[in-house]
Amino acid sequence: MPDIPRLNRPEHRQARAGRALIAPAVLLLLLILILPVVVAAVLSFSDYTLGRSGIGWVGIENYADIFARSSYRKMITATVLYVAVTVPLSVALGLGAALLIRSVGAGAGFYRTVYFLPVMASLLAMAIVWEFALHPSLGLVNRTLAQGCGTWLEGWPWFAGGCSYGFPMWLSDRDYALWTLAFIGIWQSFGFNMVLYLAGLTSVPRDLYAAAEMDGVRSGWERFRLITWPMLGPTTVFVITISTIRSFQVFDTVEALTHGGPAKSTYVMIYAIYEKGIAQNLVGMGAAITVLFLGFVMLISVAQRRFVERKVHYA
Amino acid sequence: MIHRFSTRQTLIHAVLILGAIVVLLPFYVMVATALKSPVEIASGTGGLFGAQAPMPSEACLMQGGSEADCMTRPAIDNFRQAFTKAPLWRYLLNGVIVTAAIFLLQTLIAVPAAYALAKLRFWGRDAAFALVMFCLLIPVHAIALPLYLMLAHLGLTNSYAALILPWIVSAFGIFLMRQFFLTVPDDLIDAARMDGMGEFAIIWRVMLPTAIPALLAFAIFSVVAHWNDYFWPRIVITGERSLFTPPLGLREFKGDLDGTFYGPMMATALVIVTPLVAAFLVAQRRFIDGITLTGMK
Repeated sequence: MPDIPRLNRPEHRQARAGRALIAPAVLLLLLILILPVVVAAVLSFSDYTLGRSGIGWVGIENYADIFARSSYRKMITATVLYVAVTVPLSVALGLGAALLIRSVGAGAGFYRTVYFLPVMASLLAMAIVWEFALHPSLGLVNRTLAQGCGTWLEGWPWFAGGCSYGFPMWLSDRDYALWTLAFIGIWQSFGFNMVLYLAGLTSVPRDLYAAAEMDGVRSGWERFRLITWPMLGPTTVFVITISTIRSFQVFDTVEALTHGGPAKSTYVMIYAIYEKGIAQNLVGMGAAITVLFLGFVMLISVAQRRFVERKVHYA
Repeated sequence: MIHRFSTRQTLIHAVLILGAIVVLLPFYVMVATALKSPVEIASGTGGLFGAQAPMPSEACLMQGGSEADCMTRPAIDNFRQAFTKAPLWRYLLNGVIVTAAIFLLQTLIAVPAAYALAKLRFWGRDAAFALVMFCLLIPVHAIALPLYLMLAHLGLTNSYAALILPWIVSAFGIFLMRQFFLTVPDDLIDAARMDGMGEFAIIWRVMLPTAIPALLAFAIFSVVAHWNDYFWPRIVITGERSLFTPPLGLREFKGDLDGTFYGPMMATALVIVTPLVAAFLVAQRRFIDGITLTGMK
């Protein structure tokens, strides 16, 4: 058999094809994802502004500012509070809804559809609708609350206060704004977690319950504690991670409804990046917050990957 | 026993219905307000969906029409204003252009890469896969600022390119398609090679048809994300109204009207929310399976 020239052997042809096929993707990943991270890291040590020539290097000043200035401390507080409220509640509600829907006889499909609707709807549009529903005088929420005035509900001091001085201005009172945004965030996202939990529940082997029953496990709570919850472990880790990353990135509701206010009580990180780096053109500062933000998010993702040996949750 | 069982079921239904009411509340507010007249909105009257009593259209009166000419139904007036006060059709078209372009380019780039990662052996493959896995960790929203700077330096802000380019490579899409391609038997590919097919033909004529479910799942994920995206358009489109995507258009509408024209605003919101919600209601199973499969990102 005559020697095939080295470069034309099938394995070489395959290698050439492979590299050619993957080249565009690799190039674009480097350009669109990796390069910006490097750019952000470099610019975070500068006072660069778009449109001005030349860069001044300020060392770690931007980072020092983040930890020293009260407005950035408020940013960290608002972000952490928002995440700390939305994640546990949207995960718990997602799990609760999934368990209830699984145990309900008729109507499961209906509930699943309804709870998933907010996931499909544009968050910006629904935020504006919520803003209207929560409007202090025109909104459905306060109007409904006001109907309770003069009834036994006034026995509750908070409610009585609302009746005499007006119910809260949900989005412009600094004691309420962040919680209101968190509520909208939970409303929007828990259906997504529910769907992941429903998928997780179908993968719990039926015979485990039968076996537990034989071992004398009778109560629903014991079944949940001993079988369902441990079996849902990987799903839970995954749901928590994804919820955390998503709530870290809250932007639409903040930008459209509160602009980070009142008194910076809703000044979350992504909004701060937008406001500093883009609206005010303080690129260096925006870049420093970007780096910090990426650090947070990557830490969470890496922790998740370590937590479950299986690299992905394949439902 | 049976009695206890049904009490339990009733209780579960009660909880679930209560949840459903809270979830549906803003959807109801949106629809109801879009159908009501300004007077009904301000006074909280009009019943569930507005009385639909004929009323003079304020926009028409302002243009100097006589009261008799301007009589219309509130619902009609709200939607007419939604489509005339802002170029809503244009925004919807932009939404379609941007979402479709993003998905097509993502597919064009991800599918060959995924095939190479799954089925071809070459030096550098492991490094390329490691890169994809690393990029999965980077949320594109988080690197918006440097991306914006790069686009600004290229003079590309306020263009379709700015809306589309940052999304054309999806590490997640590559990863998802690769996982799917791994399950395709090698024999199928070898047979295609025997038939004289080139690698390119194999990708589009052998691999892709088998991976339609995965591609569909990715399409749902991609379209839902980009139709609803507000963050990125807000950054790169500054004032160029003809490039507004639906959420941007709604935001502009809200700003323009100072939040007083609630009827038309809710009509606009309804118009931009409807396409995906309707698609979801029609093909629920597909959507939920797709989102579950792609829920990783």
